[in-house]
Amino acid sequence: MIDAKYAETAPDEELVKLSLADQDNFLYLVDRYKSRLMSYIRRLTNVNTEDAEDTLQEVFIKVYLNLNDFRADLKFSSWIYRITHNQVISRHRKLKARPEGYAVNIDDSAARNLAAEINIEAGADAQILKTNIFRILNKLDQKYREVLILRFWEEKNYQEISDIIKKPPGTVASTINKAKQEFKQELAKQKLNL
Amino acid sequence: MDTNDFDQKLVAKIKQDNIAPKPRWHFLLKNYVIWAIGLLALLIGAAAVSVMIYLFKYNGWEIQEETHKSLWDFFLLTLPYFWIIFLSLFVFILYYNFKHTKHGYRYPVWFMVMASILSSIILGSLFFLAGLGEKIDNVLGERAPLYDIVINRHVDFWFKPEEGRLTGIITKEKDEQGLIIFDAQMNPWQVIMQPDFPSEELRLNQPVDIIGRVSGPNKFEAEIIRPVRPGRSFFSRPNIKGDRPGCPPKGCHQTPEKK
Repeated sequence: MIDAKYAETAPDEELVKLSLADQDNFLYLVDRYKSRLMSYIRRLTNVNTEDAEDTLQEVFIKVYLNLNDFRADLKFSSWIYRITHNQVISRHRKLKARPEGYAVNIDDSAARNLAAEINIEAGADAQILKTNIFRILNKLDQKYREVLILRFWEEKNYQEISDIIKKPPGTVASTINKAKQEFKQELAKQKLNL
Repeated sequence: MDTNDFDQKLVAKIKQDNIAPKPRWHFLLKNYVIWAIGLLALLIGAAAVSVMIYLFKYNGWEIQEETHKSLWDFFLLTLPYFWIIFLSLFVFILYYNFKHTKHGYRYPVWFMVMASILSSIILGSLFFLAGLGEKIDNVLGERAPLYDIVINRHVDFWFKPEEGRLTGIITKEKDEQGLIIFDAQMNPWQVIMQPDFPSEELRLNQPVDIIGRVSGPNKFEAEIIRPVRPGRSFFSRPNIKGDRPGCPPKGCHQTPEKK
């Protein structure tokens, strides 16, 4: 196993190679991504912590199994987010349930960014902002919700979102635009303020 | 989330289930299979295009006014529908495999569909220039079931004596009584023509299409005669070549030399 200090600064691609050489090194990749992916899973779904952890464990097992399929022409973070995204979808397909977001994971800055992007002035009360955004997000079609989450909460650019959801960048851009319009319309329909 | 607990559970699961990364060749093989199927689909689609060009070129454009009510009618009735459906299937397979390559998702659907169609057309044109379209049509004409009804409806279209169209293979070259042809059902026809009718291409064992009219039992008065190009090897089938008068001992299966 490599030195923990080296692992902290080593790029993802290097850790992938080291994980293939020694299974124990895989834990450095797990440590680097588990919190981010846990938040992402809980933003996409309304499962409890235990179920989210099960999904996360399945994600890391898939990542480990498919380490040899990772190529450096793709960002590792995009690749691991793609696996997570697919795992959440397939788990919900099995349960025949629509993934719904979890309110606790809506943070202030992302919520304010989204409000600014759709030209709506957010109020000072962060709790109202978070609750209302959560309500609207859950009313949106899944394809719109997932691009908004990736764009504003996971802070991914268009190319990264394209690599995660496996759609052309042009389609991603138009889906995000449509998602913002839908968000605005739903907000007006529900007569809510942010 | 208790992070140490999560790590321990994950490690335990990996060890307990003996999970190991799948070997690299597994993914490479999957990739190669996708590319190989795509390439095969491209080659087959291009072959279909080469036959379509061959059929289209020798469609009977020069006599369409005699055979069809209008150019549009001629165009619709002579479109090679079998080959269009065949090509569509392989263009779809090509598109599907292109989409499932590592970076296929980065391209819009219209781009992949257009790229699949254009690559099939470009390669198909090269195949046509190399003579592949003609070769494929000859092989299918000789062997494929339902060739005259499905693959090349030309043969069926031209075998309508009562509508003024006759097709068959020349079994006796032109003399003062005209020439003798055998149709696809092995019926002999005496084809009557003007003495000054151009007959350079009317050689023995040459399949021909004839426009004219029935003038008596198994007698056909010819106005236009043209050598058959697509579908000519249909007349080389064993049930047609038979022991017709004028056939060499090995049968009338030789295709005429190109002019």
